[in-house]
Amino acid sequence: MITALKALRRNRFKTALIFMSMTVSIAAIFLISAIAGGVVSMYSSMLKTDGDIIVTQKEIADTFFSDINNSLSLPISKLNGVKEVHSLIVGASPVDRLPIVAIYGVSDNRFDSYTLQEGNYPKAGEVILGAKIYETLKHPKSIHVSKKEYPVSGVFKSSIGFEDGGVVMPLSDGGELFHKSSSLFLISLSDLGNSAVVVDQINSMDKEIEAKTTDAFIDSYNQFKIIQTSSDVIGVMAFMMGILGIVSMMSMVVNDRKAEFGIMRSIGLSSWTIIGKLLSETLIIALISFGVAWGISEGILELIEHADKFQGYINGEITMAMLVKVFVVTIVMALFGTLMPAVYASRVDPMSLISKGNQ
Amino acid sequence: MIIKAVGLEHFYGHEHVLRGVDIEIHPGEFVAIVGESGSGKTTLLSIVSTLLRPTSGSVTYDGLALEKIDNINHFRRTHIGFVFQFHYLIGYLTLRENIALAALDTKKSDVLMQRLHIGGLSKRYSDEVSGGERQRAAIARALVNNPSVVFADEPTGNLDTQNALGVYELFKEFSREGTAFVVASHDPKIKDFADVIIEMEDGRVKSISRS
Repeated sequence: MITALKALRRNRFKTALIFMSMTVSIAAIFLISAIAGGVVSMYSSMLKTDGDIIVTQKEIADTFFSDINNSLSLPISKLNGVKEVHSLIVGASPVDRLPIVAIYGVSDNRFDSYTLQEGNYPKAGEVILGAKIYETLKHPKSIHVSKKEYPVSGVFKSSIGFEDGGVVMPLSDGGELFHKSSSLFLISLSDLGNSAVVVDQINSMDKEIEAKTTDAFIDSYNQFKIIQTSSDVIGVMAFMMGILGIVSMMSMVVNDRKAEFGIMRSIGLSSWTIIGKLLSETLIIALISFGVAWGISEGILELIEHADKFQGYINGEITMAMLVKVFVVTIVMALFGTLMPAVYASRVDPMSLISKGNQ
Repeated sequence: MIIKAVGLEHFYGHEHVLRGVDIEIHPGEFVAIVGESGSGKTTLLSIVSTLLRPTSGSVTYDGLALEKIDNINHFRRTHIGFVFQFHYLIGYLTLRENIALAALDTKKSDVLMQRLHIGGLSKRYSDEVSGGERQRAAIARALVNNPSVVFADEPTGNLDTQNALGVYELFKEFSREGTAFVVASHDPKIKDFADVIIEMEDGRVKSISRS
């Protein structure tokens, strides 16, 4: 350990380059995983609020495009086991100087799920604003959504970034804005064990709609799959970049220290000892890089969360599971990146020491 | 340990550098391999020291053929020491750590350092001591596991006359205790110390003389 630290200290410049390469890669993996996870988790949480079953237009790729007939909410609410049906219109529109903001048209019974910080729930023609957008727009009395002006009747706080940076209005106003009566229903049940029966009953009501338990919907939702796949692909790219960075720098390190490895072989140290020595050096860098990358990522996520530009929509969190996953990835990255140069080092021919002496 | 090399031939590509060399090295002998550049002395040293496989011919160590040695690293560590023209001490390790790196028993490092008059330099790094002291540390590293034989390639090539003589005296002193030394060198002064002088010419042994 001390020997490894001494070796790293002696080769400061290249150690710093390996450290930077690993730190950037690990931070990239942290950030993309946290941001993608945050988006999925925020939208999932929103759907799960009072929603055991979700009803959308059949085979729709994105809830933004879903269009269902709100008149179905009444017969659904009368089904056995259904506690409440919330109708939602989900859309996006320019609001004042902000180019795109999430807009929610909601049925009156859903207003309770928004915790008011000030003011009242909206009447027809009014809106309530999430605390984040309220701050961003500097406490407006009214806002323009598309070209129409809406008085602000209240401000609510939500831990869900999409809502905290969004605008909520009565369902009818949302319908007028987005030309539909509802995007989706969120249905809460009195008995969760009854969900399969209720799902079947709703699906038999109208062939244009599709009911799923919220968990099943989240598992199969294309947008989440796209986000998760994109995040995985970028994560793998960052991982590969990290490995390539380590391989190239460690190859240079091994080349610089050829005489050292040659002498180790001549004094009879085994190949495994030499490989282990180099691996221990990279693992030390990896551990420090992991800690620094974690700190940097937390800092960047904090900045993004509070940046006006992102309106609180990007709200990543580094969970314990993610920490463990990225830690394992870091160790694997260090080991894979070092293995090839280390094997090369363990095969340095001690004859090169003699040859050099005879040049 | 008796080292026997019989009928050694070696080619580097088409270049025929060793042409049927037979030699024998006995315990405690100080053997000097001398000759012009290109005479084959370094190739011979490399082959008998296990670093290079001959194109043909055989080398045995107490009757054990080179190619029959199972673990060449362990064999080198327990039976062979090396001293090179350049000291090749590892720069980020102290002199003591350099010696201890090779040692099977690290306590021997201190004893050897005292004996080689570098005991007071144990915490110094190689760039903080003189060329002679560096080479003494390299010799201590070669001797730390009490090897049967030490191979040295131009060990005084970078030293002044006084330090070079000091190195030969050390080799002589340790050879009297049973360690064989096989030294390839251009330096004519080595002949004053060596028990056996093998003169190489054009890849052949020109003469073997014993003092």
